[in-house]
This record gives sequence, structure tokens and C-alpha cells, in this order.
Amino acid sequence: MRRVLVTHADEPIGRRIVKVLFHDRDVAHVLGVGEGPAPRGFDRFLADPDSRFAYLRSPVSRHRSVSDLFGSSRVRDAGIDAVVHVPSHQPAAASQRRLLAGLPPRTAEARLVLQQCVESDTLRTLVALGSAYVYRLQAGNSNRLVESSELALSPDVVPEVRSWVDCDMTFRAEVGSGRLRVVLLRLPTVVASGGYVYLNPLLSGRGGARPRPMGFDPVCALVADKDVARAVRAALFAERSGVYNVAGVESVPLSVLGSWTRRPCVPVPAPMLGIAAGLLRLAGGQVQLDRISGAHLRYGFTLDTARAERELGFRPAYRIGVATAGDGERRLETAPI
Amino acid sequence: MSGGPPRVFLDANPDEEILPVAERGEPALGSDPFASSGASDPLLERVETLSELLARAEASLLPPRPAPERKVRAAAERPAENEARRRWATTPRLAEVELLERARGLEALLPESERRRLAALDHLADGDVPYDRFGFSPSAARTAFPLFLALYRFYFRVSSSGHEHLAPEGPAILAANHAGLLPFDGAMTVVDVLRHTDPPRLARAVVDRWAGELPFVNVFLARVGQVVGTRENFADLLDDGQLVLVFPEGMAGARKTITERYRLQRFHTGFVEQALRARAPIVPVAIIGSDDQTPILFDIRPLARWLGLPAAPITPTFPWLGPLGLLPYPVRYRIVYGEPLRFHERFGPDAAHDARLVQHLTQQVRRSVQTLLDRNR
Repeated sequence: MRRVLVTHADEPIGRRIVKVLFHDRDVAHVLGVGEGPAPRGFDRFLADPDSRFAYLRSPVSRHRSVSDLFGSSRVRDAGIDAVVHVPSHQPAAASQRRLLAGLPPRTAEARLVLQQCVESDTLRTLVALGSAYVYRLQAGNSNRLVESSELALSPDVVPEVRSWVDCDMTFRAEVGSGRLRVVLLRLPTVVASGGYVYLNPLLSGRGGARPRPMGFDPVCALVADKDVARAVRAALFAERSGVYNVAGVESVPLSVLGSWTRRPCVPVPAPMLGIAAGLLRLAGGQVQLDRISGAHLRYGFTLDTARAERELGFRPAYRIGVATAGDGERRLETAPI
Repeated sequence: MSGGPPRVFLDANPDEEILPVAERGEPALGSDPFASSGASDPLLERVETLSELLARAEASLLPPRPAPERKVRAAAERPAENEARRRWATTPRLAEVELLERARGLEALLPESERRRLAALDHLADGDVPYDRFGFSPSAARTAFPLFLALYRFYFRVSSSGHEHLAPEGPAILAANHAGLLPFDGAMTVVDVLRHTDPPRLARAVVDRWAGELPFVNVFLARVGQVVGTRENFADLLDDGQLVLVFPEGMAGARKTITERYRLQRFHTGFVEQALRARAPIVPVAIIGSDDQTPILFDIRPLARWLGLPAAPITPTFPWLGPLGLLPYPVRYRIVYGEPLRFHERFGPDAAHDARLVQHLTQQVRRSVQTLLDRNR
């Protein structure tokens, strides 16, 4: 039986993981930690006084609050033995002003959580979610990537990708650790029913148009949020440590994904991208200039998940497609295979 | 005068007839004299024996050297994955294909048999979306195929033979000669394979990385099923049981000048490593005609390097006619598929680590392609 702490439990992927773990008979207790108030979806979990679920409000990007959290009686009494670290969904570029000790919050969180896990006497497992955008992309509409593929370590990668690379290397450094089992799951674009997109450098965030370089339409690997939760569950119980690619079966071009998720990608000649981003920002868009540059907008990738299948026993169980909603709009949906 | 090739008689002995090479059943000038007899190359054998002796002497003097850690390591780790997958991408036989939709656009001009072949490719898409993981789109293939079929039939007037060597399923590598600056040889081979296989097979041509950087071109190539030649892409296609078309000469073949027509350039070895690892046969393919489609008089390499292009050719029509000068001449194509080379039956996947063996096997493939070229020109 596992007793699991989930960070960023108030964000969409964290919420999904909490739900899956809460309904799992092999999980004795789930402690959700988030910066905001408990999401309304947790109300029914919290209503029962004997509930196996508890929620704590604590930012995990500050050293003091993280050490207080891991040393608190709530964590001790709950007998937590595993941590699932869900990275912040907020793009790195948007949070540049909140640099912590010279590090973007996402990187600072990764270091602090890992440090606490390594120093703890009771924690035995850390499952961290990372991004597959850490890979260095070769020229081409689609590249197949395995776990040993080269990472984007060039200093000129965009801040969004750099923050993911930093997190990835932070966790990867402890993969061989004898006393803490570290599992790093590299995720491509995460999608959810209703046309929601997470962890995609261009499409994450609010709906609305985005510019993309004309003449390029990279293939995006997809994974359903429910499959991410299933992969986390598999990683918690597999008794293996390592780095694993996790992805669904489907992959679609960026333009198609944009149209399915109400984020149309407007092809713009490359020299005009900056101007287009400025115009879209004036129109109320959320586009950051540094998110519309870089290889990930020209070259695509898909992930070879054979290792996760072999060692974690994870296979995608949700298919991703487009369906007509009640309002007549066609949008992305996920459904069990 | 009777038809057929002209006979030439020696002055000294008019009774002695010199037949063209193809009729004599002998290999032509420049081809491998040992390939047709089935014997191994004695020179290479001698070189191997010598190198083995040297290696043995070296081993007795020096401590054993670890095997060279090369880029192939990641690929060589994959056989277990291959065993685990066994989910080959297959298409149904033509008789089983149902045409559910009415043909639209140019596809409506195609006969039903060709439309069935295109409909069979729908099965290559992954999951519920109309794309596969390399960006192949069956609907884009439907749009492009009629245009390429017109080129195949009326412009290049392609004839082909040896289709019995194309396996109906399972991984295989088609290793072909490359020429003609623009890759019409690849396009015609893809059309030919699709038209002569049942179940219809889509040959996934491995294209140069440079093509992946080109706006629009990279998207078009991906949508019609072509794949940028990285190790991971290659390995994944073979693990998926697909037919992979490679041009082992690379760009060196495409930009060769008129003086080097039908003379194969140096072969890259990566495809042999992949064939050993994935236990896939290699089918040598000779494409006759592509060497004549764009006769390159000079290739100004310094200019190409300065412009960041793979070649800066001067042809009878380029650059004098602008981009139109790059269009191929309407030469006749002939595509010949040779006997598959099944190296995997003699060597295990670990042989992919042996650089010397891989080089030797690559030379065998090269000789096979050259022999096919010489016999069918």
C-alpha cells in the first residue's frame, strides 16, 4: 500500500492524478499539495471525515515552505512514502519575473522537492513528470525519439525548453540513487476532453490564435491526461527507476491540434513572427515572443514508448480524436480504447 | 536489318562474334566479377585473412580492446523491443478493400484498382487520427498519387521487373542507386512498389536531413510518407514491419556529374547496421534512367558550400532557364528489383557492432546494385 504526496494537485494534471490514486485500492492515503485553494472537484473527497485524501495549501517553489511541508506533522502522520512531483503548468517565460535564486520557479521546485526527498528517512519513491520537449530536434516534420536520444543542451534554446531541460537533468542525476527510487516520465503534449492542452510550448494557456512559422507544420505527439495518471500509477508500483517516454498512440500536425483545441495556428513568414505575436498580444492574446521561436515550432517528434511498456507495464488506454460537441463545435475528445 | 542489339565482328576473325554484355550473360565492365558466380571475393577474403592474422598477433601482445562504442549502440539495444512489439503495420489485400467514399478531385480519374490501393493505405494511420507518427496522411497521398502516376505512366514511361522479390509483409530495405538531382527516382520507385504489391505496400523513402529544413518541402514529404533519415526513424520503421527505401549513396549520388553516370558512389553503411539489427532482408534495386534525367556538367562545390546547398549544378538548361532548367528530361525509367540479400540469416543483431563486417556487407550490396545496373542498361 502506498501513501502518496502529489504536488501541484490544484492544477489540471495534478487533479487527474489525485482522482486516479484516490480510487486506487492499493493507495492508502493521498495528500494533495497546491498553491491555491482546494479545487471544487475535491469537495466530495474531503467531505468524508475518514477520507483517505487531504489537501494542503503550500507553495513548493520556496525553500522555507517546502522544508516546512516535508517536516510537518501532516506529512509525518500520514506516513507518506512516495512523492509525485507534477511540474507547474505555467510557462517559464510568463514567470521570468519571479526568478528564485536565479532559477525559474519550475527549476527551483524540482530542486527543492528532490532535495527534500533525498534527505527524508521515510520517502522511498519519487515520480516526477517532465517534458519530452527536452530532446534536441533534428530537422524534419517528425522524428522518432527514444529515451537515449540527445537532449537540447544548446545555450540558445528558448527559456521554456531550458527550464524543462534543467528539471530533467536535476531528476535524472538521482536516477541511480540507492536509497531513493526516482522515475522520470517524459510527456509530450497532454490533452484532455473538451479541447484542453497542457505542457505544449505554443498551445498551453488560454485559447486564441497563435502564429507559427509558415512552411512548417510539425507533428505533435499526444497523450491523454487520464493516461498520464495511469502512467504515474504504473511508475509508483513498478519498483523500477529510470527515465521513460510516455505517450499515446495518436500524433497530429500542430495546425490540426490547434484547430481541434480552439487555438488556431496562423502561418506567418518567419521574419514576421515577432510582429504577429505583438499584434496578437494587443488583441488580448497570451503569446510570448520567445515561445514562438525555436526548433520545436519547425520540427516535430513522436516518442517510442516501448521501454515504458516493457518495464512499467504502461500502455495507453485512451484514444484521442475529434468529436462534435453539443454546441455543434468540433473539438478534441478522449475516450477509452 | 533485323531488330535487337547490333553485333560487332572482329576484323581478324569474322566468325568470332562479340555479343553485347547482356546477351553473353557476363558481367559488364566495372561490375563485380564474383557477384554473379556466387563465389566470395578472393581479394577481400585475403585482406580479411591478413587482418585476422594481424588482429591475432595484436591480441597476443596487447590486452583485449573493448568494442568501439559507436552511435549504433542505441539502435542495437532494440531487438528486445522489436520482439515485444510484433505489431506490424499492414494493409489489407486488394480483394478485401472496400471503397466506402466516392472519389473526389483527381482521385476520381483513377481506375478502381488504383483507388483500392490508395484506400488500403488508410490502415497505416495510427489510432483515431488520420496521420501516422511520421506525419503520413492517407488523404494527402490520395491527392498526390494521381499526379505522380501521370508522371510514372506518361512522362517517365516506367517499366519494371523483379517484383517477386518484394515481400508481401514484414520489414525489408530497398537499396537503390540515386541520381538526377531531384528525387524523381524515389518517387517513381514508391509508385511502382505501390502498384505491384498485394497487399499494397508503401515504400517509406528515407530522405536527407537537409530536406527536413526546407519550408513546405518537409511537410509535403512527410504527408506522402517519406521520413528523414535518423537512426531512430529507420529503426522504428523496420520494427513496424515497413518497407524502407534507401539511397545509400546519399547526396553524392544525386549530384554526380555526367562523366560518372551509372557509376555508384561510396555507400553509407547505416542501412546494413539497421538490417542486421532488425533482421530485415536488403533488396538491391537498380533504377535506370535517373542518371540521364538531369545531366550535370559541373558541380561548383565551393559555391554550394557558400550558399549552404548540397549542390550547385551546371546543366545544359540550368541556370540558363531558371528553376525550370532543373526539371528532368522525359527519359524512360526502368526499375529492376534484385534477389534479396539476407545477411541476417548468417549474422546476428550483434554483428551490427562490427564495423569491418558492416563495411564488407555494404560493399556486397553495392556490387549487387552495380551488377543490376550494368545488366539492365
